[in-house]
Amino acid sequence: MLELHSFHRIWCLAKFELIRMFLTKRGGIAIAAFATAWLFIFYYAISTAQELVSSDIFVTIAYQIFSGASMRELLSWPVPELSVFWVVAVYSFPIFSLIAASDQTCADRSRGTLRFIALRATRSEILFGRFLGQVLILSVLIACTLIATVLMASYRDASLFFVGLIKSLDIFKSILIAVMPFIALMAFFNSFIRSARLAIIVSFLFFGLIPIGIAFIEYKLGMSIYLTYLIPGVQLSDVINQKNVFLSGYYIPLAQVCGYLLVGNIIMKRSSL
Amino acid sequence: MSSLIQVTGLNKFFGEKQALNNVDFEIEKGAPVALVGPNGAGKTTLFSVLCGYIQPSSGSVEIFGARPGSKATFGRLAALPQDAQLDPRFSIAHQLSFYGQLQGFNKKKSKFEVERTLDLVGLSDALNEKPDALSHGMRKRVTIAQALMGTPDIVMLDEATSGLDPLHAREVRQLVASLASEVTFILSSHDLNELERLCQQVLYLDKGILQRHKTLANDIDYSYFTLRMEKQESGLIEGLKSMKQVVDVVNSQDREYLISVQKNGGKTPLDIQILQMCHQQKWSYRQLINGKTLENQLF
Repeated sequence: MLELHSFHRIWCLAKFELIRMFLTKRGGIAIAAFATAWLFIFYYAISTAQELVSSDIFVTIAYQIFSGASMRELLSWPVPELSVFWVVAVYSFPIFSLIAASDQTCADRSRGTLRFIALRATRSEILFGRFLGQVLILSVLIACTLIATVLMASYRDASLFFVGLIKSLDIFKSILIAVMPFIALMAFFNSFIRSARLAIIVSFLFFGLIPIGIAFIEYKLGMSIYLTYLIPGVQLSDVINQKNVFLSGYYIPLAQVCGYLLVGNIIMKRSSL
Repeated sequence: MSSLIQVTGLNKFFGEKQALNNVDFEIEKGAPVALVGPNGAGKTTLFSVLCGYIQPSSGSVEIFGARPGSKATFGRLAALPQDAQLDPRFSIAHQLSFYGQLQGFNKKKSKFEVERTLDLVGLSDALNEKPDALSHGMRKRVTIAQALMGTPDIVMLDEATSGLDPLHAREVRQLVASLASEVTFILSSHDLNELERLCQQVLYLDKGILQRHKTLANDIDYSYFTLRMEKQESGLIEGLKSMKQVVDVVNSQDREYLISVQKNGGKTPLDIQILQMCHQQKWSYRQLINGKTLENQLF
């Protein structure tokens, strides 16, 4: 019974995040900025996908990012619009998720609003509820951009609708799992940082300095200690190249999500409100 | 009677500074409890520990037999934390309804609770306003409303009337008095008159140490009277001292006199004698209190 109440509270907290993003003025501005950026991507890249995937420039760039085998796989996708979407989305959504999920508890903590909530929900529920809310927000945004891509492809060739829809489900799942560690990382930072801006700065420092630190430690030890698996997105190139599908596509990101949420939960429980 | 709150050997350190020092007390269901003390005495720290906002450094704190901030306290312990503000992006109704749903109410019940509690604090009209559109005092009353949602057993109000105009401060006091039979209030305030009027128990903190934990209702010290005058009267002290039962008179503060008396003195009760003297001398008195005021008891 208690567990049921916990789920209810987590769901309430997640729903509130959705409302904060989609039904408030500040959330509306963020959505407008997101839509504008994607409008450019749709107009300049996805709408011309058919010509783009066969152009030398795209092939050259894509070969630099992907391996030869993945490149052939990518170019063989029946819906070229989704090929271009995949290339753009697999890196842009994780970066966007860092910014979108930067304020999970920071503002509420510094304003004191979290004190009202903490009388009605445990700190773990607050952490998981806010995380779930951000995952749902990103799900909606990924789904919207994917649907728009499929509709654009269908507008060009109506027979691509069902093929595109089925392929887009696979892309949706892959991108969503790819962004989850980034949201979890921000949940972890939010467990002890009191400003969203500072959380973004710390996350950029994290991605800039941690790999250097790990490389230095490994150089000193003269062996690989696999600390790079702590960094969200470390598996993204494997995801794109479809290498180690289960390890890179599921195990690493989901283990990172669990790790960051667990550590965030421990810090959140001990922190002052 | 089982205790609502039990605190044993509570210590809280902020770095080197000890904010709470070996605090022990127990609060049972009943009349409002006052938490008093000078600035920096540890009142807000104690509130924060009881609400589960901060962890104690050592000692034991139990609310309804459970740890502060645990699920057992949800909906049963409510609080107005000092300086906590609502989210400026959402309407009052939306936020309070969200809190209601977290407490386990469905949407309809939440809406009802929001309307009921805002009505209690006289803010029915502010239902759809955002917090930034309200004055400081109105925002305070909204946060009092959130503390009254549902049927809490304990409501902790930290400086509930500070920043409120006299009319609304009085309304909040009346609200506390009217709900005191159903809810155990714990009030922190610098206004001792307010606490004296509302509370039966007093926790006096100073420098993190619980100096006194006393019950006011059954503890009127009949060996004292406190007399408050309209103005300073020459000859009053001498007049009082000339009465047979009066042991001593101290001018405790401006226009206030603390009179020590001998029990079982003359035929006419001493309070009647004092009032008769004021009447004969044409001295206007403001108040004659049985025992010491809370202020005189504490300081």
